[in-house]
Amino acid sequence: MKAMIVGAGKLGTKLAEFFVAEDMDVTVMDSNIKVLERLNEHLDVLTVTANGIDIKMMRDLNIEAYDLLVGSTENDETNTLICTLAKKLGCKQTIARIRNPEYMEQIDFIKSELGIDHIINPDLATAVAMEKYLMKSYSFYTDDFASGKVQMVDFNIGSNYEFANRKIMDLVGLENLLITAISSNGELTIPNGSTRLNEGDIIHIIGNTKEIEKFSHRLGEDYHRKLISKVMILGGGNVGYYLAKRLCKNKIQVTLIEQDRQRCQELSEKLDNVLIIHGDGTDIHLLEEESLSSMDAFIGVTGFDEENLLMALMAKQSGVGKTIAKISRSNYIKIINRLNIDAAINPVYITASSILKYIRGGKVVSVSLLLGGNAEVTEIILDKDLPIIGKSLMELDFPKGMIIGAIVRDNDVIIPKGNSVLLENDRIVVFCLSDDLSGLKMFFKQKKGGFLSELWNRS
Amino acid sequence: MNYGIVLKVLGSILIVLGFLMIPSFVIALVESGPDRTPFLITILLTLAIGFFLFFKERKEKSISAKDGLAIVAFGWVAASLLGAIPLYLSGVTENYVDAFFEIVSGFTTTGATILTDVESMPAGIAFWRSFTHWIGGMGILVFTLALLPALGIGGFQIFKAESPGPVTGKIAPRLKDTAKILYITYITITLAEVLLLYLGGMSIYESFIHTFGTVGTGGFSNRADSVGAYTSSYIHMVIAFFMVASGVNFALYYSFFRGRVTDLLKDEEFKLYIGIIVIATLAITVDLWLVSYHNFFYSLRDSFFQVASIITTTGYSTADFDQWPTFTKGILLLLMFVGASAGSTGGGMKVIRILVMLKLIKREVGKLYHPRAVMPVKVNNKVMNNETIARINSFLALYIVLFIVSTLLVSLEQIDLISAGSAVAATLGNIGPGLELVGPVQNYAFFSIPTKLWLSLLMLMGRLELFTIIALIAPKNWRIDV
Repeated sequence: MKAMIVGAGKLGTKLAEFFVAEDMDVTVMDSNIKVLERLNEHLDVLTVTANGIDIKMMRDLNIEAYDLLVGSTENDETNTLICTLAKKLGCKQTIARIRNPEYMEQIDFIKSELGIDHIINPDLATAVAMEKYLMKSYSFYTDDFASGKVQMVDFNIGSNYEFANRKIMDLVGLENLLITAISSNGELTIPNGSTRLNEGDIIHIIGNTKEIEKFSHRLGEDYHRKLISKVMILGGGNVGYYLAKRLCKNKIQVTLIEQDRQRCQELSEKLDNVLIIHGDGTDIHLLEEESLSSMDAFIGVTGFDEENLLMALMAKQSGVGKTIAKISRSNYIKIINRLNIDAAINPVYITASSILKYIRGGKVVSVSLLLGGNAEVTEIILDKDLPIIGKSLMELDFPKGMIIGAIVRDNDVIIPKGNSVLLENDRIVVFCLSDDLSGLKMFFKQKKGGFLSELWNRS
Repeated sequence: MNYGIVLKVLGSILIVLGFLMIPSFVIALVESGPDRTPFLITILLTLAIGFFLFFKERKEKSISAKDGLAIVAFGWVAASLLGAIPLYLSGVTENYVDAFFEIVSGFTTTGATILTDVESMPAGIAFWRSFTHWIGGMGILVFTLALLPALGIGGFQIFKAESPGPVTGKIAPRLKDTAKILYITYITITLAEVLLLYLGGMSIYESFIHTFGTVGTGGFSNRADSVGAYTSSYIHMVIAFFMVASGVNFALYYSFFRGRVTDLLKDEEFKLYIGIIVIATLAITVDLWLVSYHNFFYSLRDSFFQVASIITTTGYSTADFDQWPTFTKGILLLLMFVGASAGSTGGGMKVIRILVMLKLIKREVGKLYHPRAVMPVKVNNKVMNNETIARINSFLALYIVLFIVSTLLVSLEQIDLISAGSAVAATLGNIGPGLELVGPVQNYAFFSIPTKLWLSLLMLMGRLELFTIIALIAPKNWRIDV
């Protein structure tokens, strides 16, 4: 599969990384040569210094041979134009990043009239993910699979005596759940029975939704379990706007703090029933005046990761139940897990997950990238032609970084054991560290690798 | 530096090298030459070391830029050290250093020889010696890259270090595919020349030997008189044409075959390269015609051949150009520095660097008149960024410094300055024959062992764009980063 990415910003670069890991032929176009040089040093992609709207360049690059083009420049209009041009020139599929909320309202028309196959809006996707999390009754971060039948939760064991300093096989009450991964100090590992948990580790647990709920209720005594009714949002950018709008619909009282006077004006015109406060969000007196401590949730979505993180921490300290921070750079991932924040959401990963799902298509139902992007959870429907059908997990020599978290067969959720057998049409949820993504492909895609690549990968 | 992955990739290079020796071994077997056993021993040794390193070292996630440089530099040295063994064991050279010099000269496509009698060489050795030109021309690592799956991060570093020229671009999204395309083009050109030479009456064995020397822009021949041993003007012209063709950026052929014919004609480097060849050929033709040959056709034929041979840094000769007029020799010496195009198999400074240098001079002159003018340097209508220009400048400066220092060192041999200087220019630029004592009918045998080693180093530096080897020598880079 050949893909072109126009615009090598945060999203463009991440996408290029994921596409390369997907074994695609990737061409990255940007007008900034410095960015491309840097990219070239660590990724096996073709870089082209050009403006994406240059039709001659597109022709020279033989755009009709490409299966996919992603417009991910800073500018919505540019992205739209590039996608339309590419489509007219013969590119098979196009994906455009569009952030402007006004465009989003007429997105279906734009899509069909301009020949864009898929629109991604990182801000909207982020707001949706935040909303989903806020509506849950417990406060650790979760993800749904198999249309809600299976869930994965990230749970910080802190110094909980039931977990800390125990071996996994000695844990009680986890019979129908599977600990797929442990992240300790930012390092993800897939555990076995004799792995010992340490204080402050985060465990990623997969299981039947009901079991997960039971589990969370058991542990949830010291967490807020009441539904959210008052929320404070810091930052009135696009994410803040989308989130406020969506929360309003759910009859939640929203206070939104924005620094820019004019933006406040705009927001107040567009949003009804939202309290818009003009002021500096880092001013703790202002937040206290607006009764921060009585909030059920605090969400930091300004343009600065640091501000989002620190204010979320501050809110937690003031007694806010749920705190979320938007983090756009992956640099802080390693320390975030140690901070007392309930969820850190990265728009880039959320967007990349949705694109990955879109391009894997067909039998891949969903893809979620874990924070930091060093692991992903993929939901796949097993094809009858796959060589793994009818084999038990013990027989299949999965790489160390890959584990099947759940098998959904005829509406039943099975937590796999060594003797579980994979059958046709099973829906499986696979947890895979990015280092072993090639393994994911090897087992679940009918693809012939050359003898030499086999040798290289195995040795 | 990450020694694990460096050693592992080195292992894979040696495995490839081991297999590449097999054709020479087969020839030795067929001819029942004295070089059979030496080849067998070397192949087994190379494969043994290769497989040992390959399987012993664990696969690491990725290769850093530093590792990439080390792989290239160590890879070339290791390939030369092992590739020299058959020459030494079969008694073609008296000592191992001579054999090493000869094979470095082969891999770096220099073509400088220390053999006093090339015609008495066993057939397998002669084939191997020329085959190293072919391997070294496009690069042994590019070959390995084409075979092995992506080396991940740092693969591009390897590619960049091995492929000549200041700006290296991929022609396909994946390094592996780029390497494949380059090798397919290379093999096509090779087969075309073999066929044309064979049709011109050369034996199939000699066609291969001379084709390897031509397309790799190396210059080894199995004849003492080089290409001059053949009297056919047809053979001279075929070889001259393919030398010129091998000095062109191979990426241009790719766009040419994809139907973008004008790319080739519009390329500024290509135009300058052809321009230099035409002007130098005409100047030398007139000089030869009036001063020594007194025959226009022969003057044109020999001057074109020699210009093509020197500018592409091949080093074949059809006449003893050391006997030609001084003006002509001066032009040839200049051409030694110019070299071929970036992305070709040729050596030297590369035409693109000369082009940028000329444009810089033009810009400086322009700035004297209009001190506040903004004048970016453009090549093919694209602005060259300042870092690339700075790299080109420091490359040219380093080239000159190396030339001067090395000429001084070589002059310790008590030889004249022209011999010393042209020996350095001919090895640093990967040409082969120089003037006077190292002229086309002479050889490098008389140098002392330290000088031979130094010249070998110069050849490696010239082939790997100077900085790769220098970076490796700098002890700062030897530390293991944890």
